[in-house]
Amino acid sequence: MKRPRATIVFVIACSLFVTCGVSSASPARSAAVDRPAATGPGFPVSVKSGDGTVRIASRPDRILCLSPSATQMLYEIGAGSQVVGVDEYSAWPANAPRTKFSGDETNAEDYLYLKPDLVIFAYPSGTIIQQLEKLKIPVLLLPAAATIADVDSQLVELGTATGHLNGAKNVESSFAADIASAVRSADGDGRGATYYIELDPTNYYTATSGTFIGAEFSLFGMRDIADAAGHGSQYPQISPEYILKENPDYVFLADTVCCGANARNFARRPGFSVLKAVHMNHVIGVNDSVASQWGPHTMEAFVSLLARVLRQSASS
Amino acid sequence: MAIAAAEEAPSVLFDTAPAAAPTIYPTRLRPSHVLVGVAFLLAAATLSVLIGPADLPAGAVIKYLLSKLPFVHLHSGLSTTGAIVVWQLRMPRMVLGGLVGAMLAVAGASYQGVFANPLADPYLLGIASGAGAGATIVIVEGPALGNLPQSALPPAAFIGGVIAVAATFALGRARAADRSAASMLLAGVAVSAFFVAVQTFLMQRSSPGDLTLVYGWILGGLSTAGWGQVGLVLPYVAVAAAVLFACRRLLDVLTIGDEEATSVGVRASHVRLAVILAATLGTAAAVSVSGLIGFVGIIVPHTIRLIAGPSYRRIIPLSLLFGAGFLILADILARTVLSPGEVPLGVVTAFLGAPFFLVVLRQAKRLG
Repeated sequence: MKRPRATIVFVIACSLFVTCGVSSASPARSAAVDRPAATGPGFPVSVKSGDGTVRIASRPDRILCLSPSATQMLYEIGAGSQVVGVDEYSAWPANAPRTKFSGDETNAEDYLYLKPDLVIFAYPSGTIIQQLEKLKIPVLLLPAAATIADVDSQLVELGTATGHLNGAKNVESSFAADIASAVRSADGDGRGATYYIELDPTNYYTATSGTFIGAEFSLFGMRDIADAAGHGSQYPQISPEYILKENPDYVFLADTVCCGANARNFARRPGFSVLKAVHMNHVIGVNDSVASQWGPHTMEAFVSLLARVLRQSASS
Repeated sequence: MAIAAAEEAPSVLFDTAPAAAPTIYPTRLRPSHVLVGVAFLLAAATLSVLIGPADLPAGAVIKYLLSKLPFVHLHSGLSTTGAIVVWQLRMPRMVLGGLVGAMLAVAGASYQGVFANPLADPYLLGIASGAGAGATIVIVEGPALGNLPQSALPPAAFIGGVIAVAATFALGRARAADRSAASMLLAGVAVSAFFVAVQTFLMQRSSPGDLTLVYGWILGGLSTAGWGQVGLVLPYVAVAAAVLFACRRLLDVLTIGDEEATSVGVRASHVRLAVILAATLGTAAAVSVSGLIGFVGIIVPHTIRLIAGPSYRRIIPLSLLFGAGFLILADILARTVLSPGEVPLGVVTAFLGAPFFLVVLRQAKRLG
C-alpha cells in the first residue's frame, strides 16, 4: 500500500516529540528542576515504601536513584541537587549524574563508592535491599504506578523523604492541571475509540488499561483491546489474529527504539494491511519509554501527544 | 582358578541349555501406524485453521480453503478480514508449526540414535545456546551494530546454532584417537556452557525491554508466522528430513555399536557426521523462526518408541508425522488457553513434556 509522505513525517514528528520531550515540559516544571531550597517537615520522617515503611533519620544529601521515573520526580520537586547518581536509563534531565548502574545489581558494595544516604529502586534484584539495610542505608522502593493517583502518591513520598514536600505538592498540582488541560484540548475526540499499544513486535506483548500507560489512554475515554486478554496479567501477550478481529482505531508502537517498529513495517506484517488504523494513518510510533517510565515528565509529554493525535485525526 | 572352577561347575561356563532367544523387534513400517499418523496430523491441522479468537464459522473456513483448490468454485461467505485471518495468519502458522514440530521430532530421534542416548534432543550439541547467543546479540547489541533490524534475528540465530555445533564437532574430534559419541557429547556440554555464558553476559547488560524480547524468543512461539518464514524454513526441513529418512536403516545398524557396525560394512563415523549435519541444519532453521521449543524432540520419538518399537525404520517417518501434529496441537493450546491472550509455545511443550518424562521413566523401569 502506498503511504502518504505526510503521514510518515507526522509519525516521525510524534516519535521525536516524545523522545525529546524535554522541550515540551511546562515552564513551571522546568523551573522546579533547579529549585535548590529544601522545604517540608523536619526529620526524621517515615515514608511509605513498596515493601513497608522506611524511616529516614536526616535529610538525604547523597541520593542514588535507580529508577528513571523517580529520577524525573526528584528533579521536578527540586531535589536534584541532592542526587549523586542515577541509573543508566534515566534520560531526563540531561544533566543528571548518570552512572553505569542498571538497577539490577545484586551486590550492595557496588554502590558504596558514591556514599549514598538514600537509595531508590523500582525493581530491586536479589537481596540488595536487605544488604543496604545492613549497611544502614535507607531504601525507598517505588514500583510501577498503575494509575495517575499512584504517581501523585510517589511524588509525595519522595517529597517527604527528601525534604521537598511543598515542591512535591506543587508538582502534583501542576501535573494534574497540565494533564487536565491536555485532555480538555482533545475536546472529547477519541472517546470510545479502541487502541492497541505494542511493546514487542515478535511476541505481541502489550499493556492493558490497568497500567499507567493504559491510564493515560483512559483519560480520553479510549478502550484498550488488550483488556479482554489480560487474565490477571497487565502486560499480556496477544495473538495477531485478535488484533485483526478487534481492528483497533489506533495503534501505538512503543517498540520503535528496541525493535525498529514503525508504521510502514507494521502495515507489512501478515494481514495487517487491512487494519482500520493502517488505512486511517493511525499507526503512531512513540519512544519505548512511554510504556516503561511513569515520571510526570514522560507522562505529560505522552498525554499531550495523545491529545494532539486525537485532535488531528478528528479534524482530518 | 578359572579352569578349576570350570571343571567344578562346567554347566556354568559351557551351558548347554538353550539360550534365551534375543528379542526381535519388527522393523517394517506398518501401514496402520502411518494411517494413524496421517489422520492425527490432518486432525491437528484442521483444528488449527478452525480455532482462533476471530470466531470464524467453521463451515465458511472449510469452504474458503476448498475454494483455494484448483477447479473448485465455492462462495465461503467469509469477510475480507476473515479470509486474511485464515490465509495469512492461521494457515502459515499451522504449516510452520508442522514443519518445526516435524523437524524437532525427527532430529531428536536421530540424535538419540547416533548417540545411543535416550535423553538426547536436537539441542544436545549446542544449537540452542548458539542460536540463543545469536538472537541475543541482535536484540541487545543490534543498535550498536549499525542498527540491526529485527529481521536479522532469524539469520543470526541460524548462524549462531551452526557455529555452536561446528565448534562442538571440532572439539569432539580434536583427539584423533577418541572420536566416540561420548567425546562429542562432552564437547557439546562445554560449547553450550560457553554460549550460555555469552548470552547471560549480554542479558545482564541489557535493558528490561530487551530482556522481555530475549525471554520471548527463548520461550518460543509462532505468533509472527507468515508464508515468508515458511518459505525460509521449508528447503532446510525438506532436505534434512530426506537425509534422515534415508539414514533410518543405518541408525538401526548403529544401535549394535560402532565396531559391530564397521564389521558389517557401515562406517559409523560417516553415518554420524551425515545425520548430525542434516539434523543440525534443519533444527537451526526451525529454531531461527520459532525460538527455543523444548521437549518435542524427546516426547515424540519416545512415544513412538513405546508404541511402534525401537527400530528407526519406524521411528523416523512416524516422528515426522506425529512431531508435526504434536506441535500444531500444542500451538492450538498456546493460542486458546488464555484466549485472546497467548501462552509461549515453549511453556506449553514443557508443561506436557515434564509429566511425560515421568511416564517414560516409569515405563522404562517396568520394562527393566
